[in-house]
Amino acid sequence: MSTIQYLLDGFAIAFQWHNILFALLGVIIGTAVGVLPGIGPMSGVALLIPVTATLTSGLPIEMAATSSIILLAGVYYGAMYGGSTTSILLNTPGESSSVVTTLDGYQMARQGRAGAALSIAAIGSFIAGIIALIGLVLLARPLSKVAINFGPAEYFSLMLLGLAAVSGLAGKSITKALIMTVLGLLLGTIGIDAVSGIARFTYDQPVLFSGIEFLTVAVGLFALGEVFKTIFEKDGADEPIAKIDRILPTKKDLKDSAAPIARGSFLGFFLGVLPGAGATLASFFAYITEKKISKNPESFGKGNIAGVASPESANNAASGGAMIPLLTLGIPGSGTTAILMGAFIMYNIQPGPLLFEEHPDVAWGLIASMFLGNLMLLILNMPLVRVFAKIIQTPKRFLLPIIIAISIFGVYAVQYTTFDLFLLLGCGIAGYFFAKNDFPVAPLVLALVLGPMIENNMRRALTISNGEFSIFIAKPLSLIFLVIAVLWILIPILMKLRGKNVIINEEG
Amino acid sequence: MTMKKKLLTLFSAAALTLTLAACNDSEETSSGDKDYPTSNLTIVAPSGAGGGWDLTSRSIAKVMNETKLIEKPITVENKPGGGGAVFMATYATKEAKNDYMLMVKSPPILINNLKAEGNSPYGYKDTTPLAQLTKDFGAIVVRADSPYESLTDLLDAVKADPTALTMAGGSAPGSMDHLVTILPAFEYGIDPKAVKYVSYDGGGEAMAALLGNNADAIGTDISTVTAYVKSGDVRVLAVTAPEKLTIEGLEEIPTLYDLGIESEFTIWRGIFGPKDMSDTAKEYWVEKLTELNEKEEWKAELDRNGWAQDFRAGDDFTKFLEEQEGTITEILTALGMKK
Repeated sequence: MSTIQYLLDGFAIAFQWHNILFALLGVIIGTAVGVLPGIGPMSGVALLIPVTATLTSGLPIEMAATSSIILLAGVYYGAMYGGSTTSILLNTPGESSSVVTTLDGYQMARQGRAGAALSIAAIGSFIAGIIALIGLVLLARPLSKVAINFGPAEYFSLMLLGLAAVSGLAGKSITKALIMTVLGLLLGTIGIDAVSGIARFTYDQPVLFSGIEFLTVAVGLFALGEVFKTIFEKDGADEPIAKIDRILPTKKDLKDSAAPIARGSFLGFFLGVLPGAGATLASFFAYITEKKISKNPESFGKGNIAGVASPESANNAASGGAMIPLLTLGIPGSGTTAILMGAFIMYNIQPGPLLFEEHPDVAWGLIASMFLGNLMLLILNMPLVRVFAKIIQTPKRFLLPIIIAISIFGVYAVQYTTFDLFLLLGCGIAGYFFAKNDFPVAPLVLALVLGPMIENNMRRALTISNGEFSIFIAKPLSLIFLVIAVLWILIPILMKLRGKNVIINEEG
Repeated sequence: MTMKKKLLTLFSAAALTLTLAACNDSEETSSGDKDYPTSNLTIVAPSGAGGGWDLTSRSIAKVMNETKLIEKPITVENKPGGGGAVFMATYATKEAKNDYMLMVKSPPILINNLKAEGNSPYGYKDTTPLAQLTKDFGAIVVRADSPYESLTDLLDAVKADPTALTMAGGSAPGSMDHLVTILPAFEYGIDPKAVKYVSYDGGGEAMAALLGNNADAIGTDISTVTAYVKSGDVRVLAVTAPEKLTIEGLEEIPTLYDLGIESEFTIWRGIFGPKDMSDTAKEYWVEKLTELNEKEEWKAELDRNGWAQDFRAGDDFTKFLEEQEGTITEILTALGMKK
């Protein structure tokens, strides 16, 4: 049977009424999970596994498995749709993959373009979801081969490229961006080292053993930083509230976001396929790329719609891409796919090399249902934009307490420790002073994610090569990433030296 | 007026109920609840998904819930890091009284506590051992197209030039995957410190490294590799069992003894409660786990994963752990990695 035939069979399964219902339920819960901070896709899926097991208990085992997985996968990609909402409206990222969306999304909301930002996030997510699915159908096998060939050296160079590109997140001063990057890298070394198992900078405090939680830092720096700024500078008293002119994006908005959505989708999909890279990195990379190739890079961070469209497409595409190593290799690429894998195993279905042969109904039924689910999400999310966009019209004196409450609730729900609450408050105050003195916080956050990955993969690669650094240039893919990283930094400097009038991040 | 009075009564009643409920709550958590369990249960696999702890946790949760032995939903959480030491620290301190959080573990609970570069100040004495459920064995695995046809081929190559081959495993040096990888080499007369070992986050990632040609051989457990052996992606060169396995498709794999290497390594897996687990909760789990061990569904689950049944509960398990502690101390001393 050909792929098309399998896919049609899959649609036949996805269109059974109970499966449509499961997909719908999944995406609705997923949207809620995405919008509510604190409960991320990972905990959302984990909490629902026992519930779906009960719901499907009447069905034969294979069908029950298909229906459950359809629902759980719906929660997963549904959460990616909803994740942008609080980022855009409240500057409070609900999921780590939506952190970068705050940069331009919140600015758009402040300018009264919340509706456009939310709509474009939904539309971008939809297109990205579909592109990722087509990729999943057509390229699953060959891509899974590429993914496993991605060794420590390649990961290291890719992450280094991400770090080199960090200047793309800089504000006025590149020096300040670099300071923040190094700060992020330093914070990333706290905790038990995964390669040697030795505790570093933990001072025998068990709370520090698992390191500094990325989401806590991000929410503190972005959301609470903004709150403190408003309070300290008393600019919230009776400032005129941004008027929402329209809900739907303008023609110009759509035109401006078309290319970023396409680029974000492809980038996100390929990064999603790599185990361990994931949606957060995909969103950062997509944002940085857009800013780099944009004609007006200075408009980023001030409400450029491409800065919303691209990362939101990327994180959704990444979640589709992450299904590839899960389904074809049995290797989960992210926390959420790991939990999805658990759900498969619960039904005696082992994701991996034999899944498509032994259980074609489950695999193709799931893929087909994801097409359906993405469409449902678009239809579901567009009317919600109107409702959510109203939030921005809430006067500041009500809005600020809400943001604080959501931040604290969200962080506690993920971490369950009071330490993280203090860390959150500390980061909030730090965020205020950083912003006041023009230190960009995004590089810190990105470095905090990248640091441990760079370090671990570098050490793994060096163990393989017996300490020879040549491994990083001996591997072709790794070499390509390194060359791009070097060019990324050198070209603007060279062009500046030659006296060309290019827009780079000038010393402030 | 009467209206007001009524409302007042209502409020005070509500307040009283709330206070009582609050009292009740605190009582339950401190002294163990007769109705245990009253809410959802969590089993933690202190590793990434896809490895042995993870699969075991999920199997226990699944069979317990499916056979209605335990009605309350059991969720499995992954808490990776430091070969299990990260979660161990949390478990021994912050969760020491949490009757609703259990943990699946295996020899690393001893190893991490014993080895020189000890990453865990906490050992099995900081938990309440509930039961050993399975035994599994280490396996030395290569890709199907690997030039090494037997473990002795592989070891000869390592002996000739230890820098030429990369071994990998799902946990940090000095931990179980490492011991499984190193043990045959050590017994074969190779300096264990010379063998190149790359650690990944869990057996799944190590398998990806093997399949993607980023490692020449991995040391892992039989249950992690079964599916990949069936699909023809990998070959198992040897198992660390005392005798040949009876698992379908794996009967032909030689043991270390078959190859003239006088060694074996059993990977037991067991489930632990928190250090200060209430007696009610401990008795509940020992009873339920003993029942679980008799269930047909559990036996089917074990077969499917390629695990051998091996059961010790409560104090027997604790005694077994004491013996194991002695054995592992010996191995680590031989490897020069004893604390």
